[in-house]
Amino acid sequence: MFGQGARLYWAIQWRRNEGLGALFLVLALFAVLYAILFPGIFAIGAMAKFVQGWFPTAMVAAAETIVMLTGGIDLSVGPMVSLGSVVAASTMQGPFGVLGGVLALLALGAGVGAIVGAFVAIGRYPAIIVTLALSFVLRGIALLIMPRPGGYVPASLSEFLAGSHPTAAVLLVFLVILWKLYQATPLGIGLIAVGDNAEGAYRSGVNVTRVRMSAYIISGVLQALTGLYVAAQTGSGDPLIGEPLTLAAIAAAVLGGVGFLGGQGAMRGALAGSLLMSILINVMFFMGLPLVAQYVVQGLIIIATVALPLIRASLRRIA
Amino acid sequence: MNAALALRRFVAGYGRSLVAYAVVAILWIAASLLIKGFGAYAHLRYIVELAAVIGLVGIGQTVAVIGGGIDLSVSAIITVTAIILPLVTFGADTTGLGAILAALIVAAGIGAVNGLGVGYLGLPPLIMTLAMATILQGLLILIAGGSAISVTNPSLDWLGSTHVLTISVSIILWAIVAALCLFWLHGTRSGSLIFAIGANPVVSRLSGVSIRRLTLITYVISGLCSGLAGLLLLSMNGQGYVGIGDPYLLSSIAAVVLGGTSILGGQGSYLGTMAGAVLLVTMTALITVVNASEGWRSVILGCLILAMLPLSGRDQSR
Repeated sequence: MFGQGARLYWAIQWRRNEGLGALFLVLALFAVLYAILFPGIFAIGAMAKFVQGWFPTAMVAAAETIVMLTGGIDLSVGPMVSLGSVVAASTMQGPFGVLGGVLALLALGAGVGAIVGAFVAIGRYPAIIVTLALSFVLRGIALLIMPRPGGYVPASLSEFLAGSHPTAAVLLVFLVILWKLYQATPLGIGLIAVGDNAEGAYRSGVNVTRVRMSAYIISGVLQALTGLYVAAQTGSGDPLIGEPLTLAAIAAAVLGGVGFLGGQGAMRGALAGSLLMSILINVMFFMGLPLVAQYVVQGLIIIATVALPLIRASLRRIA
Repeated sequence: MNAALALRRFVAGYGRSLVAYAVVAILWIAASLLIKGFGAYAHLRYIVELAAVIGLVGIGQTVAVIGGGIDLSVSAIITVTAIILPLVTFGADTTGLGAILAALIVAAGIGAVNGLGVGYLGLPPLIMTLAMATILQGLLILIAGGSAISVTNPSLDWLGSTHVLTISVSIILWAIVAALCLFWLHGTRSGSLIFAIGANPVVSRLSGVSIRRLTLITYVISGLCSGLAGLLLLSMNGQGYVGIGDPYLLSSIAAVVLGGTSILGGQGSYLGTMAGAVLLVTMTALITVVNASEGWRSVILGCLILAMLPLSGRDQSR
């Protein structure tokens, strides 16, 4: 009985790689290219640094994916990360220190997530416009708290999170395990069901509102913690530092096969997508490409990775 | 069909758009009474002039959204047009119209590439236009670097500074293009098919609608209108620089949604987007009057859009 269950589990897991072949192939090619260009990557220190560069994008890609799986979208990721970094850098000099700062960030992330969730899950307003408007609010609050980069994060925390230890890699593994556990709970299973067919999920007894609500809260917490990590990396808070992460998060998720209509895609795809973008930036840096070429190549590779399976599918249809 | 039925149909179809007009009217009347100088003709005209830029970008965005897509490359196309104009200016072209035409062709060409990717390759609109924006951003840095480019173009100067019967030429330009867009969307066969594609692409395809060609047209229109907006912005600003178009991506989407067009496609009208554009500029103007800092301005604008949500309607499909 147990054997059969395990076989079924792995069969389902394998099927969820469907459509990700092209992405994994491109990713492997660039990983090999990167290893050839920069053989030193296999040292622990270099690997730790690489993962640290990847970590924020991976975090926001995960945050975006959770929301997109339910059929929503979050356009306020960047400002939320900025606000997180600002709050981290201003609370950690307070009387409660690092612990107080972390608690403040958890409260901030859960609070903002709950607000978005209230609008989207209970109020049933389109997530795209709610989070667009919220992005203005969050950016404004970050600028009010800290008009220019400043504040401070204890050096010991910076060293712990973004120093020579592979803390980021450990955190990433920890998060993946948490994600697997979450997917074993009713709320986690409901994520994809609600995104695929909210009406059907509701009729099957899934609490649609609660599933969506918790998705936005988890997403908010992940984004706020990304802000903490970014603050630890730079040693200070910056009200605009997260801006590029909104599009990076969406691009990583879509590269990873997460659909805009919900219920489509898997976390592994989004993480692979964010890893591909991170490796691309490193490879182009090592090849000495000018910034101009970096933008163009990044755009072309995103198009190619998404287009290849589509072209192959349409060829198969003709044949 | 009697008049009462026609009226009821109009309200049913454009009710959400009408709400946006009502809010603009209330805001204008209240602000005119409370703030000295707000209701002056020149000030209201200035608001509409600023709204013309958002309004022109909003044409392409509305058409793309009604057709079930979205265009995230509008801001990059605006910047490209504003920066490329000096480069395509040539001596024999004394009126400057040749350069303007060339810039608009480039803008429409970028839109055509978007349309090919979305319509013929089947790429999700968000990813195609996002990648296009990334590519253009790289090319722009190559062309312009960090410096501002100023331009002397007689036609553009005329566009930015002339009034006909006290109405600015930019507003007249907006009105003409808006009328064309409204006629195309609601008065022609291909326009109404855009709604069909947005409402249900599968049924549209099975009914023999040439989705690919119409999608291509949609994004060409979006590119062209963003190009026009870029030229208008350049005529008001006098110089182009990398990033000049950036604010118009989010404001064009906000104008579309505030105007009552469903972000899910298949429903809405450009009529509402026009009100949405004026509404956005009015809100910004009001916030400026209060003399708030940048942070407060951003917070207030965001809260206002959130507060407008119940008026602009719920997401009905879920």
